[in-house]
Amino acid sequence: MPTPLTITELQTRIALYEDMKAYKALYDLLSTSLHRFSFSIVKSKEVAEEIVSDVFIKIWQIRDRLPEIGNLKVYLYTITRNFSINYIQRNYKNSSVSIDALEIDPVISYGNPEELCISAEIIAQLLEAIRQLPPQCRLVFQLVKEDGLKYKEAAEILNISVFTVRNQLAIAIHKLSEALPSYLRQPLQTLSRFSAS
Amino acid sequence: MNEERFWLLVSLKLSGEASPAEIAELENLLLQNPGLGMRTELVNGIWNSHATHDFNKEAAFNRHMQRLSNHLSEPVLQYEMEEPEIEAIETERTSFPLRRLVYWLSGVAASLLVVFFLLKSRPEADNSSGIAKNTVTTKRGSKSNIQLPDGTQVWLNADSKISYNEKFQGAIREVHLSGEAFFDVVRDESRPFIIHTNSIDVKVLGTSFNVRSYENEKKTETSLIHGSVEITLRCSPDKKIILKPNEKLIVQNDELQIIGGKASTQEASKQPLLTLSRINYQKKDSSVVETLWVKNKLAFDGEAFEDIALKIERWFDVKVNISGDKLKKTPFTAFFDGENLQQVMEALRITGNFNYYIDKKEVTIYP
Repeated sequence: MPTPLTITELQTRIALYEDMKAYKALYDLLSTSLHRFSFSIVKSKEVAEEIVSDVFIKIWQIRDRLPEIGNLKVYLYTITRNFSINYIQRNYKNSSVSIDALEIDPVISYGNPEELCISAEIIAQLLEAIRQLPPQCRLVFQLVKEDGLKYKEAAEILNISVFTVRNQLAIAIHKLSEALPSYLRQPLQTLSRFSAS
Repeated sequence: MNEERFWLLVSLKLSGEASPAEIAELENLLLQNPGLGMRTELVNGIWNSHATHDFNKEAAFNRHMQRLSNHLSEPVLQYEMEEPEIEAIETERTSFPLRRLVYWLSGVAASLLVVFFLLKSRPEADNSSGIAKNTVTTKRGSKSNIQLPDGTQVWLNADSKISYNEKFQGAIREVHLSGEAFFDVVRDESRPFIIHTNSIDVKVLGTSFNVRSYENEKKTETSLIHGSVEITLRCSPDKKIILKPNEKLIVQNDELQIIGGKASTQEASKQPLLTLSRINYQKKDSSVVETLWVKNKLAFDGEAFEDIALKIERWFDVKVNISGDKLKKTPFTAFFDGENLQQVMEALRITGNFNYYIDKKEVTIYP
């Protein structure tokens, strides 16, 4: 996960020297996460890519003023969110759209089931559990888990309170745990009765 | 036990936002409720396993840079407005090259702006027939200074060729250039001045700038000193780049195709094909490195030895051979004023740790 210090350094280099390597490094650091975020909202990979591109064009446009931005990461996510919502509004003609009302499809898939020592079926159940969470809750889960955002950052991006972020994440984790099959709810010492599936 | 509290603590720990007290509380709860251990472990594992997201950021970056370069002439972002209508460009956006076009800027260099672009070069268009053409050619080792019928001054560097219609009286003032030339164009707003090279067309309104487009070099460079120029890539005439003073544009001359963002030649794909950057100022006396040759000074600024070899070949009309890949790529920075070939080679040798010998008109360099 990109460290805040690295992003600040890149920010400065872009602003002061118009350093293209720094600009590309910034893109490399954040484009995948921003794309995933935008994709959750707009649901098209191509549109999401264009939106991310527009975000980085904007960064270039305002490069002189970059040092004024306190948390560039949050800023990038926020513009990404705004552009993504604008796209939805334009194409679906809703007058006012909030994150909650959107059909968010967070992109969450898990690595190797073998590594996790649980089967693919359980993973599918977990994914389903996440899908059934309310949109905002799912987004919080994605932003904090996948993108490593702090509660404060996620709160700012989604325009909710830190308290809400904290609770939403707790709900998501709790639901995850409930999606695990009941035989896993035994105390550790009794597990020796079950063989690996 | 309150499971809600338990999972809140777990989530705080996983996200790194738990206080020491909360961590201690969680450990305590785990000790008291071993049944939760397995699930916690699994949730832990899920949290730490990373999602894959289908996104090729290298390809996307290349496409992005193309959009960025297009955008330089059209500053309104597609998704920035809620409504898709184009809104009037706010006067606040004065930092765009489009705005700065109107003003003369002098002094300190604008900073580095790099634009990636994929370029497909076409063979040079046929000139209109029947009109008498003037052609001036310079050989290696010599330079030339000519004045065009409209008063425009042109300094031709070694091994270069410029041609133009004899009368030079049409609605457009046009020249064809191969090699390197410095132009000091007489301002005539009613008659745009256009320089055609193999890969780019440079349109000017009255300005001083340098164009470098040698056939045996991999890139075409345009450096702007005063005024403004608009550069059009011959393969993509709708894409125009506007240079601000003290900027320069470097275009790779390779044959490359862009189809949906994929470059077709592997080895060239690492190189930026179009680079817009700052002109190099020699700090001591603020002379522009790119145009030192006009004043009869030979200059290299962090250039690879093999590129320098080409410059030396033209400047002194000799043949240069370098052996050793590492040596070929070694960069040199040096400025010469009136030194002969021997002196130049000796100076380079001292800093560059290589050997050479000169045999009549041939220089051989080896590690």
